[in-house]
Amino acid sequence: MRYALFLGCLIPVKYPGFESSTRAVAEALNIEFVDMQFSCCPAPTLVKLVHYPSWLALAARNLCLAEQAGLNILTLCNGCTNTLKEANLVLKKDPGLRKGVNEILKPWGKEFKGEIEVRHILDVLRDDVGLDAIRKQVKKRFSFRIACHYGCHFFRPPRIMYPDRLSPSKSLVPTQMEEILSAVGLTTIQYSRRLLCCGSALGTKVDLDAANEITREKLSHMTDKNAQVIAVGCPSCFEQFDRGQVLISRKHSRDHAMPVLFISQLLGLVLDVDRSKLGFDQHRIKVEPLLDG
Amino acid sequence: MKSPEIFDEALLYECYECARCTGSCPAAFAVEGFNPRNFLLTCLRLGLDAVVSDEKLWCCTTCHVCEDRCPQMLNVTDLLMALMNEAAKRGHIPDKVKAGTGMILHTGRVLLISKRVSEMREKFGLEPLPEIPVEEVEGILEKTGLAGLLG
Repeated sequence: MRYALFLGCLIPVKYPGFESSTRAVAEALNIEFVDMQFSCCPAPTLVKLVHYPSWLALAARNLCLAEQAGLNILTLCNGCTNTLKEANLVLKKDPGLRKGVNEILKPWGKEFKGEIEVRHILDVLRDDVGLDAIRKQVKKRFSFRIACHYGCHFFRPPRIMYPDRLSPSKSLVPTQMEEILSAVGLTTIQYSRRLLCCGSALGTKVDLDAANEITREKLSHMTDKNAQVIAVGCPSCFEQFDRGQVLISRKHSRDHAMPVLFISQLLGLVLDVDRSKLGFDQHRIKVEPLLDG
Repeated sequence: MKSPEIFDEALLYECYECARCTGSCPAAFAVEGFNPRNFLLTCLRLGLDAVVSDEKLWCCTTCHVCEDRCPQMLNVTDLLMALMNEAAKRGHIPDKVKAGTGMILHTGRVLLISKRVSEMREKFGLEPLPEIPVEEVEGILEKTGLAGLLG
C-alpha cells in the first residue's frame, strides 16, 4: 500500500510526534509513504471562507501533484481531509469548474484529471489495511477508557465526505475510530454529544474564549461517563482539547486534565512503538500518569 | 476563472424559520448574537449588505451541523460561507483570518518553519519538509484574485 502523505500545516510544525508515530505505525502495517511538495490544503476555515475560487485552485494543485505520481492521498487532519475531498469531488463532477481551474494551473504544467482518491488515516486503517491485520500486530494492553472525538470536518457534510455511505435520511454516523480502537483491545465509551464540534475554528478565527466554552460543554459529557482519554484524528481538535483544558481550568478554577491522544499515538502504544517517537512531551496535559500509574 | 455560483438566493425562500439550525449550532451556543437563522432572514429581507459587515458572521465553525438538522435540507453552512466570501470582497475580513490567509499566500503554509521547528523535527528523526515552490503558489493565487483581495 502506497500513499502520498499529506501532512498539512500543523502536524509537521507543532506536533512532529504525530508524524513520527504515524510513520512508525505505517511501517509496522506495511504502509508506504511518498512525501511531496504539498502546500497548505488550503484550510477550509480560512481561504475557503475568504475566496472560494482561490481555495479550489490551490487544492487542485495539491491533488494534481498526487495524480502525477499516480498515488491516492492519505490525510492526517480533518481540515485537509475536508478540503481535498470536497475539491476532488467538485472538480470531478463539474466540467466548467475543472476547465477554469486547469486554465489557472496550466503555466505550472498541471492539469486536474480526477484520477485519485483522498482518504483519512482512519479509513485507510479500517478499510485498506483492515482490522484483522492491525489486530495481529498488537503487543501491549491498556485499560484506560477512551472517548472518541471525530471532529466535524472528518465527516460533514456527509453528502461530500461520504456520498457512498449515506443513511436513508442522507446522514452519517462515523464509527471508524471505535472500531479500530476496539479491534486492538482498547476500551471506547459512548457519551452524549459525541459528534459535537470541539470549537477550534471559532477560536482560530475570532473568539478563543467562546470556543473554549464549546470545548467545556463537550468535556463535561466525556467526564460524565468517566472517560480517561480523548482520542482524536485531527491536530486542530487536539490543540483545542489539549490547550483548551489548560485555559478552561485557569478560567474556572477547576482542574481539567484528560490526556488527548492522536490516533497514531494510541496505535503506537499498543503496537509497542518506541516511546520517544510518540511525542508525548509536546502535550500540555501530561500523558505519562495514565501509562505508568 | 469564472467565480462558481456558491450563493443561491432562491434557496433562502425554502427556509421555514424553524430555527433548528440555530438550536443545533455550537457557535450560537457560545457566542451572544451569532444566529444562523437571523443571518439568513436578514439577508432575505434586507439584502446581503445588511449582514456582511457584521464580524459575528465569521464565528461559524463550518461544522455543518445545521445542514444535517435542517428539515428543508438547506446547505446553511454553504450559505454562510458565501456571505463570508461577499464580506471579504467588501473588505470585511477579521484580522486573524486575514493574517492566516496571507501566510498561505506568501509561504504556502499557515505556520512558519523556524530553526526551532527544524531542530525539533530532527530530534524525532524526521526528514526536513519538502520545499514548497512559493512562486507557484503565489502565482496561482494571484491569478485567482486572492492576492488582490487581501491588498
